[in-house]
Amino acid sequence: MALLSLHGIGKRYRQGEVEVSALQGIDLEIEEGEFVALVGPSGSGKTTLLNIVGGLDAPSEGRTELNGTDITTLKEARLSDFRLFQLGFIFQAYNLVPVLSALENVELVMVMQGRPAEDRRRRAQHYLDLVGLDKVMHRRPSALSGGQQQRVAVARALAAGPRLVLADEPTANLDSENATALLDIMHRLARKQKTTFIFSTHDQRVMERAERIVTLRDGKIVDDRRVEARHHEHAD
Amino acid sequence: MNSRHSHLPVAMLLMLAWRNIWRHWRRTLITLSSIAIGFALSVLMIGIGDGAHNSLIRNAIKLGEGHITVQPRGYLEAPANHKYLADGKALLAKLDALEVPGSVEPRIALQVLASTANNSVGAGLEGLSPRGDRRVDMLKPHLVDGAWIEPGDLRGIVIGAGMAGKLKAKVGGKVVLMAGKQGGDSQAQLARVRGIFDSKVDELDDYLILGDIALARRFLEGEGADPTLEPVTRFAVFLDDPDDMAAWKARLKAALESDRVAVLDWQEMMPQLVQFIMVDDAGNYIFLVLILIMVVFGILNTVLMSVLERTREFGLLRALGLARRQLLALVFCESLVLSLLAVTIGWIMGGGTHLWFSTHGIDIASLMGGGSTAMMGSFMDPVIRTELSWDRVVQLTLIIFGATLGSGIYPAIKAARVTPVQALRT
Repeated sequence: MALLSLHGIGKRYRQGEVEVSALQGIDLEIEEGEFVALVGPSGSGKTTLLNIVGGLDAPSEGRTELNGTDITTLKEARLSDFRLFQLGFIFQAYNLVPVLSALENVELVMVMQGRPAEDRRRRAQHYLDLVGLDKVMHRRPSALSGGQQQRVAVARALAAGPRLVLADEPTANLDSENATALLDIMHRLARKQKTTFIFSTHDQRVMERAERIVTLRDGKIVDDRRVEARHHEHAD
Repeated sequence: MNSRHSHLPVAMLLMLAWRNIWRHWRRTLITLSSIAIGFALSVLMIGIGDGAHNSLIRNAIKLGEGHITVQPRGYLEAPANHKYLADGKALLAKLDALEVPGSVEPRIALQVLASTANNSVGAGLEGLSPRGDRRVDMLKPHLVDGAWIEPGDLRGIVIGAGMAGKLKAKVGGKVVLMAGKQGGDSQAQLARVRGIFDSKVDELDDYLILGDIALARRFLEGEGADPTLEPVTRFAVFLDDPDDMAAWKARLKAALESDRVAVLDWQEMMPQLVQFIMVDDAGNYIFLVLILIMVVFGILNTVLMSVLERTREFGLLRALGLARRQLLALVFCESLVLSLLAVTIGWIMGGGTHLWFSTHGIDIASLMGGGSTAMMGSFMDPVIRTELSWDRVVQLTLIIFGATLGSGIYPAIKAARVTPVQALRT
């Protein structure tokens, strides 16, 4: 069974007097462990689709099944718990809580999960080590570069042990070097932990690292193909 | 994992709240200062009010009839010279047996006409023990001419400056005291002015005549009282601890009250003073409400600004799985921490100010240009020392704490309403 199944997802919203269709008839299945890029021009519906998959937004029609649960039927509070235990998020910007250190940011989701202090501290340190931030783990986000902040977000998303990580344009605010390094880390960890990743991008460098590219245009899937990853991992 | 629900331990909540309120430390400091100053002002104002009232009450009690008064039933409603406690000796023995912690002072109060060759005025003759009576303690320092009456002086009186002026009486001058008797006759005693006091309280200076209790008792003899039973018109009971008044009043009522004897407390004896204090307190409370409004808007401004600035952050937390109620708790916790800090700093400032003024006092008399501090038939001490009871401490703390905490409710609800997708779009 696929980890994620989207059946006839549509999303419409009103913009003044006009009804805009952001997504139409999206059917998609993603298997466990896939490293999927959602690509397409601005306004093609990538972020809307990720929000629906993450339970942050409700579709106007269709069903989203994740790990056998139809999340479109879940009530607010259960959906919140579902996100906490099943999903990891990496956003384009403003990803971290500014008053917490890198280590505390990574721990935060595990605190909410109710993990014992020792376990979460150990996991947080381990994942920060994996993303190469063991030396700066006690710094607050304001003392970290954009690339380092996104790496903290990756560590936070993975340390909590999600089934699926959703990343909305994670490299959009990074320079080329940092973007490449971040993607390498994400890819390496995804492989190592067999965590499923879906990330939206219109960045060619990101696409090159994907194993499957789903192309959206005007709210519809116009292409879905598996590719051989062509990148060379950078040392991080 | 304990369960599949979102957790946010109190320690984490407090830590986040603490760090969040110091995110804009200047803003927080300004808010805290304004609350603390407001609080200190409230403490000072309430302290001065209570100090002034208590000073007024203490003096009124000393000048008046004590914390508790034992007097003939019906005297308060319709005072008359023929209403007296005929067997004062027996009543005093009962009072002594009760071992009231304080003092019991027998007094005879009569309405008389005081006359000299020049003029006649209505007056209140107060027969008391010239030594040891609290009223003597209060008025003796205000003696401006002559000397105080000696015990057993059956002719000597001390009068107020106002009365001396009206009667054109001087020290050593004769004054005839005349009192009506039940049935229409009258009786008179000749007295001599030994001294003149000037308390600046018109009600005392223009009306009061002080004499030995034996002098006043002669008028009761004229009414048919047996002097061997030591008749009096009242016993003024002064308690060492005024807080015990209610308990002692109940005990005295149980032991002494009858169809002829009534036991009253100072509030019943001086209802106008109670009324005056209530009206004055109401004014203070209005001022307190204004300060509270300032405090509420101060906190509301700080917490609401901080909530509006963090919409994206709240969206992120909600996206990560923080429950709505936990977000509400987080923002509310920030108000709580701010309230605790404000009350603590407020108490340090307010308490310090209170301590200083409770020791050094405020020279009300000089602020009033050396004028009289007389009020409601009593007078305040010229230097007012702030007073704060524990009840006031608890009351003020709860009011400020409640107001600051209450002002965090709206921002907390606003934060909890944030939907992740809208917040992350901002």
